[in-house]
Amino acid sequence: MDWIQFVLAPQIVNGLAIGVAVVLMALGLTIIFGLLDVINMAHGEFYAIGAYVAVALLGAGLTFWWALALTPLLMALIGYVTERSLIQRVFHSKDRHTLTLLLTFGIGIVLEDILKLVFGANPLRVEAPISGATEMLGLFFPNYRLFVMGLGALIIIAVWVLVFRTSLGAMVRAAAFDRQMTASLGVPVNRVYAATFAFGVALAGVSGVLLAPIYSVFPTMGRDFVLIAFSVVIIGGMGSIKGAVIAGLLLTQIQSISSLFISPVWGDPLLFGIMVLVLMWRPQGLFGRLGHA
Amino acid sequence: MSASPILQANELTVRFGHLVAVRDVSFNAQQGAITAVIGPNGAGKSTLFNLISGAIRPNAGQVMFQGREVTGLSPHQMLGQGLARSFQITNLFFELPVRENLRLAAQFLEQGRGLFRPVSASQIACKRVDELIEQFQLGPVADEMAGFLSHGEQRRLEIAVALAGRPRLLLLDEPTQGMSHSDTHRTEALIRSLVGPSLSVLLVEHDVDLVMNLSDHVVVMHQGQKLAEGPPQVVRANPAVQAAYFGESPHD
Amino acid sequence: MHEVTSRSLGHPARALHWLAGLFFGLALVFAIVAWTVGDVFFFRLGTEALIFAGLALSVDLLLGRTGLLPLGQALFFGMGAYVSALVLKNWSSSFWIAIAVALVFSAITGLIGGLIAIRSKGVYFALISFGLAQVVSKIIFNTRELGASDGMIGVPVAQIAPGLESGQPAGFFLVVLSILFILYAGLAYLMETPFGRQLGAVRTNEQRLSFLGVDPWRTKLAAFVGAACIAGVSGALYPMLRGFVSPELMFFQVSGNAVINVIVGGTGTLIGPLYGSALLTVLRSVVGSYTAHHQIVIGILFILVVIVLPRGLIGLAAPALQERLGRREGAVRTPILHADHPQ
Repeated sequence: MDWIQFVLAPQIVNGLAIGVAVVLMALGLTIIFGLLDVINMAHGEFYAIGAYVAVALLGAGLTFWWALALTPLLMALIGYVTERSLIQRVFHSKDRHTLTLLLTFGIGIVLEDILKLVFGANPLRVEAPISGATEMLGLFFPNYRLFVMGLGALIIIAVWVLVFRTSLGAMVRAAAFDRQMTASLGVPVNRVYAATFAFGVALAGVSGVLLAPIYSVFPTMGRDFVLIAFSVVIIGGMGSIKGAVIAGLLLTQIQSISSLFISPVWGDPLLFGIMVLVLMWRPQGLFGRLGHA
Repeated sequence: MSASPILQANELTVRFGHLVAVRDVSFNAQQGAITAVIGPNGAGKSTLFNLISGAIRPNAGQVMFQGREVTGLSPHQMLGQGLARSFQITNLFFELPVRENLRLAAQFLEQGRGLFRPVSASQIACKRVDELIEQFQLGPVADEMAGFLSHGEQRRLEIAVALAGRPRLLLLDEPTQGMSHSDTHRTEALIRSLVGPSLSVLLVEHDVDLVMNLSDHVVVMHQGQKLAEGPPQVVRANPAVQAAYFGESPHD
Repeated sequence: MHEVTSRSLGHPARALHWLAGLFFGLALVFAIVAWTVGDVFFFRLGTEALIFAGLALSVDLLLGRTGLLPLGQALFFGMGAYVSALVLKNWSSSFWIAIAVALVFSAITGLIGGLIAIRSKGVYFALISFGLAQVVSKIIFNTRELGASDGMIGVPVAQIAPGLESGQPAGFFLVVLSILFILYAGLAYLMETPFGRQLGAVRTNEQRLSFLGVDPWRTKLAAFVGAACIAGVSGALYPMLRGFVSPELMFFQVSGNAVINVIVGGTGTLIGPLYGSALLTVLRSVVGSYTAHHQIVIGILFILVVIVLPRGLIGLAAPALQERLGRREGAVRTPILHADHPQ
């Protein structure tokens, strides 16, 4: 009983905080794939940029809350520009899938090195805006992590509402399902695409900001994290929002709890191994695609 | 010419979710003969075709070929059994010349020999290519890329590629799809000329007249089930078949 | 009997062979110039470029010929390097034994990796390849017996033949060049065999190929193992040149650079990746002497190539050259697809 209370429960809660951030990142990735049919190999770098943007804003004297509010907007702008100036150029070619994959891969490489150039290769620390811990059920949980869980959950719900319950979301889903039809209905499909990419990138950025106080901030942080995000998206089903949420929470829990039994170094390999198994047995993941779900 | 069936479908059933696309369909295809599967749109003929050619697995039933079960074999095992198929939507190697399309298909005859020797060393395959080019009158376009051919030429190539591996049963999926009248007649004659003791044909077709002229044996599908089976004249006169076709809005 | 040559396949084969001859010819010229200049640095840089060219060749076999994008090919490269280093340090200083062991090891690990990865296509394959490299490199990073994050240093020189060993800059350069030539020539020959044609067919229309009696899975697996061996052998040469190995040889940077080398050089041309590697290694070195951030330059160049010139340098040069060489039927044309063909 003690073990559950003092060892397992904290792991679960910690895992939830990370899980929520992973879900946000995976949501961005899966939405970009679901609508644009683009595999965003640079998604990890956008996550890192989010963290660095926050660092920069904090360095400019803003509070964490301002950083948290402004970063998504800046990320959305970066995403929008990236999509319109680069990705759309290869969008209509025959080898679209390979080219967009390679293109975003190249963008990721450039972005990572830019971060190294601007901020240096050394890890940076970001202070958690909320300190202290709350007592619940005889245990102390770090307040910041509780905050991350709460805010993350709110954002996830907001995304769900946006996609499934608003006309904007309906438009986006229609464009995912049938581009030409939607275009002929007068919807500015190109702008919808760019905005969707921007939205996905913003989610990655938010994830970066939220996790910055938990992990340190360094230029290759995206590279390590993106494998988890892709694993979640693949296991959940590429293009499925429900899948991203469920798989994201589930997998981070698995990773979190397993770290009690095996060395944390094996955490990523474990997830990767699960992803490979899922790909072998059920390649479409747990759930379907965005437009078709 | 033997009278035993070369292909037997036994109670084939396949479901996609709640939709039963093919239900309990059984029929025989005779050796050395042309068997046609026809039916209105949505009758399940394409699905049935895919079941027989190994593209999908049935939920129930078997496909017996020359007495051996071939149900659920993977596509690449089919040719080894003696079954080859063509595609309704032309499915060639468009970026390769006609010769290479045929050579890739004919390579099967080498049975894995010469895999790592120069292409020209595969004499059997090369000879087969020349044979097919002549048989299918593809001489003028033999060195053209398949994507450049006219529709009719592509459909002929489509059949030639399926035939290259010397199958015992040739499965043709709407071979005259989109063809002009003259091309259709040509193809009809071609298919007729192909059958013999060593080659039987099973085809799925939309063109009822073509089927009635060409086939020795007809299977009529309707809403996933077999409606009738027999020689063309008998099937044509079957009132249920007439109702199925004329009772619905003209689609041909 | 009419032979179907690469010429009629739309590959500008004559031009490619010409360009290949040019490449190896230029390499020899480079060797002579470097010899006269007398600075060891050029030979070392050139040898390193050739070693990474081997890795690029293995990527092109998968990407350009089989249609699989490997984002973790450095895995086999790095493992080949480690195996070679271990053999040279602990067992024998024979060049040949080190290469042979690395080859066998690559074949085995390639088979295992292939069994895991080949079931998937497209981005899934890319991610599995990427993930495998991440996972294994992390494991090695944390393995003290293999030097952990520092890797292993003090790898002795490899004995190639009486009087010839890997410590001799000019001699080793020529040895590596010869190996690269053998690898290239072998692959070029392979493409003219039924197996090689099957590879290309898997890439353009896997489904149809399977109905022609070819098991695409086996074909892809064979290509994967072959590529692993090529990468492993190339990697095995690395510690002979540099005297050390580190986990960084398996990091994404190496895999990524290899893919970039292939795309810039010209996917599917086999000789393009060699040119790409040579050019970009030199570029990285030149830019790298000014700034540590040469990846930005390389990355931007890569992005430009993907957008503007997806067929790469050789992909552009070869058809043009072919036409100049006067053989019209070898010109690459894009077939017009008919309306009923879904694309």
